[in-house]
Amino acid sequence: MTAYRPALRVLSALALGAVIGILIYGLLAAESEKAVGLVLLAVALTVAAGLRTGVLPRLARAAGSGPLLGSVALAGVVLIAVFHDDPFVLLLVARALLVLVACLGLHVQFADAGVPNFAGAAFFGVGGYTAAVLGAGEIPHLLVLLASGAMAAAVGSLLLLPLLRTRGHYAALITIAFGLLFRTFLEVNEGLGGPQGLKLPGLRILGFAFNDDRQLLGLEVSGFAFYCLAAGVLALGAVWLVRRVERSWLGVSLDAVRLDETAAACFGISLGRWKIAALTLGNAIVGVAGGLSAMMVGFIAPNNFTFQESLVLVSILLLGGLGNLAGLAAAALIVVWVPEKLQPIQEFRYLLFSVLVVLVLVLRPGGLVRRRARQAFGSAAA
Amino acid sequence: MPRNVAVLRVVLALLLVSLPASAKETVKLAFIGPLTGGNSAIGLGGRNSADLAVKIHNADPKAKYQYDLVVLDDECKPDTGVQVATKAGADRSIIAGVTHYCSVVAVATVDTFHRLGLPTIVWGAVLPDITYGHSYKEIHRVNGTMINQNETAAKLMLKQGFRRWVVIHDTTDYGKGHDKYFTQFVTPGGGKILGDFGVTADQQDFTAELTQAKALNPEVIFFGGLTPIGVRIRAQMDKLGINAQFQGTSGIVNDDFIKALGPLAEGVVAFREGAPAEKLPGGKFFLEKYAEQKYPNPPEAYGPFAYAAAKLLMDTIDKVGPDRKKVISALAQVKNVDSITGPITFDDHGQNTVAAITAYVVQDGKWVVWEDSEYASGKRKLKGR
Amino acid sequence: MDLLAQYVMNGVMLGLMYALVALGFTLFFGVLDVVQFAHGDVLTAGAFAGLAAYAVAFHAGVHSAVPQLLAVVLAATLSMAVLGAVLGRTLVLPLKSAPPLNVLLATLMGGTVLRECIRLFYPGGSQPQRFPALLPSASWSLGRFTLRLDNVLMILAGVALVAGLSLLLRRTRLGLQIRAVAQDEETARSMGIDFRLVVLVTFAIGSGLAAFAGVMHGLYYNEVNFSSGLLLGVIGFSAAVLGGLGSLGGAVLGGFLFAGLQTLGAVALPFASAYKDVFAFAVVILLMTWRPTGLIGEQLGERV
Repeated sequence: MTAYRPALRVLSALALGAVIGILIYGLLAAESEKAVGLVLLAVALTVAAGLRTGVLPRLARAAGSGPLLGSVALAGVVLIAVFHDDPFVLLLVARALLVLVACLGLHVQFADAGVPNFAGAAFFGVGGYTAAVLGAGEIPHLLVLLASGAMAAAVGSLLLLPLLRTRGHYAALITIAFGLLFRTFLEVNEGLGGPQGLKLPGLRILGFAFNDDRQLLGLEVSGFAFYCLAAGVLALGAVWLVRRVERSWLGVSLDAVRLDETAAACFGISLGRWKIAALTLGNAIVGVAGGLSAMMVGFIAPNNFTFQESLVLVSILLLGGLGNLAGLAAAALIVVWVPEKLQPIQEFRYLLFSVLVVLVLVLRPGGLVRRRARQAFGSAAA
Repeated sequence: MPRNVAVLRVVLALLLVSLPASAKETVKLAFIGPLTGGNSAIGLGGRNSADLAVKIHNADPKAKYQYDLVVLDDECKPDTGVQVATKAGADRSIIAGVTHYCSVVAVATVDTFHRLGLPTIVWGAVLPDITYGHSYKEIHRVNGTMINQNETAAKLMLKQGFRRWVVIHDTTDYGKGHDKYFTQFVTPGGGKILGDFGVTADQQDFTAELTQAKALNPEVIFFGGLTPIGVRIRAQMDKLGINAQFQGTSGIVNDDFIKALGPLAEGVVAFREGAPAEKLPGGKFFLEKYAEQKYPNPPEAYGPFAYAAAKLLMDTIDKVGPDRKKVISALAQVKNVDSITGPITFDDHGQNTVAAITAYVVQDGKWVVWEDSEYASGKRKLKGR
Repeated sequence: MDLLAQYVMNGVMLGLMYALVALGFTLFFGVLDVVQFAHGDVLTAGAFAGLAAYAVAFHAGVHSAVPQLLAVVLAATLSMAVLGAVLGRTLVLPLKSAPPLNVLLATLMGGTVLRECIRLFYPGGSQPQRFPALLPSASWSLGRFTLRLDNVLMILAGVALVAGLSLLLRRTRLGLQIRAVAQDEETARSMGIDFRLVVLVTFAIGSGLAAFAGVMHGLYYNEVNFSSGLLLGVIGFSAAVLGGLGSLGGAVLGGFLFAGLQTLGAVALPFASAYKDVFAFAVVILLMTWRPTGLIGEQLGERV
């Protein structure tokens, strides 16, 4: 029986990936509002079924494991191929993936280390502006992307001391104040383009320009397809990284720090060191996502990074349920896609998200799927 | 194209064909403008005017296609503008766009439209760089630029005897452009710019700048920027007891400015290119048809331009078909094409030349053309005269 | 010298507004150990409620300033007092035993809901709205300094409010109950104090104060904007924290301190007064690094 285990695992992963792929396809391809409504209904029913049969919690735990990630990635490539010449859909996919990466960075800070970061959009912006300033020159763009992450981490280090010395709502205030400060600074400062923002060249790696539409195998492939692939690679990398962190000693220490600082300190865990690690790593991830996003859009302005945008990122974290990577991905997709697809709610989207988050917080603070405590022994994954 | 969507489209096409009335193919046009926020009055006026053009064109049996106006809000913010521009450009069913009132947004989206190949005609943004800052074939503009506006402004104000100015402008290229061109034209005539202050587009409190301006004792405060800040500066000038004349640009020529200030708006002077709707060649026709539709907002200053832009695009698509590339080449050939704002000719940068500049003054709660006002005839006096 | 006087006057007006907001934050924190982040948006909502009351009064034929002003202030403070109590009842009390971060998030989102509702549902909400000038506009010029009567009136009103609040807390029975709950919830309960009622009343008082600050803001700038609550809320919270959460005197001190920082920034960096916010927030972050629980400190005890 044990000999069939790996095969069963791979098969069930493929099946789940297919289901996810079909639902996503439906969401993307639906054009009329009625169609979108129907797809959302289908998604809701699938989720309910998943909760009932207990598949969903297992899926949540398996998120990030090899077979499932692989099958979702496969579904992603198939979808990109299906929408190869529809720049609008590809743009949506890429945006959702980059928002997911940013939220993964925040996840490390918030869900793992317990440090609230209400300036997520600001760090996204730091990455974008770094890409704008460095990308115009001769520096290879891969390095520019890494530099975006490094710069975000560096700017974040300014807040390390204040964040280590404060806790709870004081720490939250510091990040909020920093977010506002950053945006005002960008608006007033002429050197970084001021309120008009900066333009960015498209991504270009080893001479391959991502912006251009190309002909592949006789098909017209939009430039955005390549950005989707790049964002997908980034997302896979981020998920893998976050999963590894969670399972490593870094993750265990962060859990201890988050759950009970006093007890952790008693056990000799250096609070400062692990919080710094989480904060820096999280900011770097957010920064890289910001850099790639800016290069894809080709433009960056201070208004992209308001407090409202930071709140949207935090909403995604909360709606997905802290500690739940699959929920995070689903929330990111829904938050980015549904307002675009349902034009009437585009205007109401902030209101809608806020109400949803308040409901989740008051009625079901653990998220749709409860967070499992770490187990000392036994398998922690499906 | 995904199969079931293709199937849906075939079914829809069959349905459309089976309906006797609408036998024409539908073509989409995008309209982009500030529909929310402090400049929404102008944005809505522009949208209604473009919508009017589409309605009139659709009712014409000689028109080859049925047009659908896709309305997008750029919120007068460059990032939102780029987002909706990307949306419009990426949507292959949108053939052309009537775009932008806010210069900041227009200058940000030129690259996006070029990259996605969407032909556009600007209907209200006045920054010269929007057409002259690049050589993209996609971008055209039917209204004028701020250069002539400021030349006329300098001449008129100098003639009135003003010699000392303080300039307050917003830190976008729009405000800085006005600062640059006005200074350029007023200095040779003997005008002196005593001080120059840059303010952010959403600044609330101007007491710092105005206190310093008061200390310089100017005769005129020249404001280069849009309505929301214009309102605040004029109101706070009064609070600080500054008795100078307030002079603005095309950014404040709209009813919201007067509504927000009440009696404080009296005597404010502003300039813009183009003539008021009644004085345009097709003005009467436009205003009559506009009133018939009973829109909740007036067309405001740039409505006629939005109308003209939409009409020009629809006529061009009727001629060459719903193909973006063909529309771009056809627009490059536009010479002396008739429109309600006068003959339109695009130069090699897609810019139309609009000769008329109109000076306005607020009299009894309305924007009145300077020449027709009691200020010009001498019955009322500007501040300090 | 007169220029300095002008700057000082501006600073005092701002400081008073911030102090009123900070007082609300400190009251909520003292009584329930929570930070109600929707407070800034309650301020804006109060201003809009006042504006709506003005419109109604105007249409009902009330044309003289004094009854209009009365209507505006009453409508704003009473409606926000009710709203504050509702927020306390629905968002804060139920989450009392949840991790404190949840309350913070819930109230942040609640504030967003409030802000978006104003933007979407108030006619013309997305644009800055003109707030009527209801105070007498007489002014005296002393050199380059203009002393306005309406500013003086607002300062007097603000001071009266703060004094009134202090009296309420120190001399009345309700104040005694509030202070008891703030000091030790369990003991206060066992002494027969109705905990929930006290909490709701405190929320009502704090929100009423914010509404008054909102009306002041509207009268001062002759304008209200749906988004002004966010920045004011953050500033109010910073001010309360600077002075030490839970301390009334600290809240007032913090409010004037923040206004002073902003004015200093505006004077010292005349080329771009917008930098004053950057300057002020940077100083706040530095001060909080140096004194994590505020200048007049907070006694922090934790059960392990």
